[in-house]
Amino acid sequence: MRNALLPILLLLFSITSCTKAKHDQTFRFVLTSEPPSLDWSLATDHVSADILVNIMEGLVIFDNNLKPQPAMAEKWDVSPDGKTYTFHIRKNIKWNDGKPLTAHDFYYSWQRLLDPKTAAEYAYFLFDVKNAQEFNSGKLKDFSKVGLKVVDNYTFQVELSHPASYFINVPTFWVTFPMRKDIVEKFGPNWTDPQNIVTAGPFILSDWKHDAKVTLTRNPTYYGTPAIPEKIEALIINEDITAISLFETDKVQLIRRIPPLELQRFKNKPEYINAPYLRGYYYGFNVNKPPFDNPKVRQAFSYAIDRKQIVSILKGGQIPATSWVPKGMFGFEPGVGIGFDSKKARSLLAEAGYPDGKGLPKITLYFDSRDDNRLVAEKVQSLWKEHLGIEVTLENAEWKVYLKQLQTDTPQVWRLGWGADYPDPHNFLELFTSYSGNNNTHWKNQTYDTLINEGAKEFDRNKREEIYRDAQILLTEKDVPMMPLFYEAQNILLKPYVKGFQPNAMNILILKNVEMDS
Amino acid sequence: MKTAAGVLGKVQATRSASLWNDAWRRLKKNKVAVISLIYTLFICLVALLANHLAPYSYKDPIGDPNLFSTLFPSLKFPFGTDQLSRDLFSRCIYGAQMSMSVGIVTAVSSLVLGLIYGGISGYVGGRLDGVLMRIVDVLFSFPSLLLIILIQSMIGRGLLGIYLALTIVGWVSTARLVRGQVLQVKEMVYVEAARSIGSRGTMIVFRHIFPNILGPLIVTLTFNIPNNILAESFLSFLGLGVPPPYASWGSLARDGYQALQTYPHLIFFPSILIFLVVLAFNLLGDGLRDALDPKMKR
Repeated sequence: MRNALLPILLLLFSITSCTKAKHDQTFRFVLTSEPPSLDWSLATDHVSADILVNIMEGLVIFDNNLKPQPAMAEKWDVSPDGKTYTFHIRKNIKWNDGKPLTAHDFYYSWQRLLDPKTAAEYAYFLFDVKNAQEFNSGKLKDFSKVGLKVVDNYTFQVELSHPASYFINVPTFWVTFPMRKDIVEKFGPNWTDPQNIVTAGPFILSDWKHDAKVTLTRNPTYYGTPAIPEKIEALIINEDITAISLFETDKVQLIRRIPPLELQRFKNKPEYINAPYLRGYYYGFNVNKPPFDNPKVRQAFSYAIDRKQIVSILKGGQIPATSWVPKGMFGFEPGVGIGFDSKKARSLLAEAGYPDGKGLPKITLYFDSRDDNRLVAEKVQSLWKEHLGIEVTLENAEWKVYLKQLQTDTPQVWRLGWGADYPDPHNFLELFTSYSGNNNTHWKNQTYDTLINEGAKEFDRNKREEIYRDAQILLTEKDVPMMPLFYEAQNILLKPYVKGFQPNAMNILILKNVEMDS
Repeated sequence: MKTAAGVLGKVQATRSASLWNDAWRRLKKNKVAVISLIYTLFICLVALLANHLAPYSYKDPIGDPNLFSTLFPSLKFPFGTDQLSRDLFSRCIYGAQMSMSVGIVTAVSSLVLGLIYGGISGYVGGRLDGVLMRIVDVLFSFPSLLLIILIQSMIGRGLLGIYLALTIVGWVSTARLVRGQVLQVKEMVYVEAARSIGSRGTMIVFRHIFPNILGPLIVTLTFNIPNNILAESFLSFLGLGVPPPYASWGSLARDGYQALQTYPHLIFFPSILIFLVVLAFNLLGDGLRDALDPKMKR
């Protein structure tokens, strides 16, 4: 009997090895952290977005040139005065539990976003809608006065308070995706768990192992062309270097962040793709916490940063930035903003009452635990020491915890990125208005708000550029509630046998057309 | 004929055979232990004189990041440079200062704490001993990493946090050891004799008990130091250790980990330094234990 055991074991082993050798048709990519939320009224970040844009869709969708195309709405009409948009929803869309998708689902989702009880940071996204801001601030209690109307089951009408040239881009964004009122009310905060959630996109959320893996499977009842991949796994890997090893051993097919020093190794390989990115990386202040309640101190800190040095450390094709609207978008103003000037930094700090940094309270620079963030933070720490004579403490936390900290008790200096929600400068500049839920600087400036509102109403491109120029001067030169550091670039590793993946400048991760040749 | 003075002279000429001299002689014969002792003393010296020995600063970049960023080891930069164009050799020297100071200070502090606690528990005995040891048992079963994270979140991430955290986690095992040793020595004949002639407690403790447990204590210290160096390296690697721009060997290893495949020198040098120092302390500890064991007759 003992002699028979060994050959049996060898046989079993060889069988299992055989099945592993065949190419697994599951497409795997790396998510750089646990998604903070899959509730699309509440999600604000790019990690959650990667999952959301594959399990749901909205009225409109961007094509690969970032031009809005019909999605769940087959067509739309705009009134002559530019204030009323009527969306005609396709009649064949079903939720993945079989129920038909109607205009009521859009109405519920947009109402939930604006409802002050939801406390959605992105509520301001719909403030162009008539009375939306009033309802969200609590001034208006009756939601029926807000400019949204269900004309019939398949017609959804939106009335704006003023015409806005960019508005057709707004319904592409995940916070405007339709939502099932009965599901949300039945399951409460757990409605996004895989066994509860109901979606209508090309994929279904079939499993979510927190901090480990998110699994999506093809949705058989999707209204459009069925997705090509049968299954997608998003592996949650915090360490970039681990992701690289997984890529090299063929365990994942797509990585969208490469550690700076590994970039050189991949630059000439066929797996490497470099693409532009409408995304800015900035350090923000909490303008209510000393010493950053003094604009001269903020200016001084900005003058002391040599952005070229930061970019040469990261080696990823990033572009040093002194103004806020990114390169590639109209409204880009390379001449605006604060550049590197060590003397000016010191003199401003002295003018503010802190010559050579004497008398300053303890300053903490807070960042989310990513290796490239750590490199930038250490560099900025040494630049501030060298040019201002100040020792700054570094602290870091994991992404989900970090975002929470920014909302509850904003530190003195912190970092964030902002990727375009749609390719228009209004989206970038609106971030720092007094009513933006995503504005962590606590900076409230009437002049700035007015400029942004004017720019939203203006249709003449040249006039808009002027307005946005003034806004950026106020934002990055005069008041400086934030310091732009650089515009990002996309550094992607994709297995050559993967077809159907096209990077776009907004890094919207659409995976339904991905195909793997074995 | 030999005079009395001549005989006396010969008696005085023999070396005094105290425990310490015996131990030192035995240690000297152990070649491995001697090498380890020399190496640890050498590293301690480097750590003390870090400011004078390091050719460059540990936190300031050498120059233009385009020219000096991540260079491989060369004559000018024996360990190469890192991603922020800082000289790795200088950083390793400062790393020695950081790692050694954390390792030694926390080991000594936990030893002192454990000595007092375990000494009282062992000497007083009875119910107090039982209570104190039960407390120790509870603390011992706490996962040390969690305790360290907890302490750091209360005190903050700085140097004080690391020192306190490692000390608090380390004193428990020393307390147990000391208590065991004290119990053992307490029963020895000479202690009984001292008590019988009326010596007071403190005198017994300082003149009889303490010197006799010193041997095992020193050996324990020599083993705790590398444990604490490793613990600090591990914490720094996780991101919980010394904050930037300070550098310990563990945080250097962490920085180097990002470029493992492309620039392995960044993680190799700090790692090998940790390895050598831990090995040296362990070998020294082995040698000391053999040397101080009075039962071994050579």
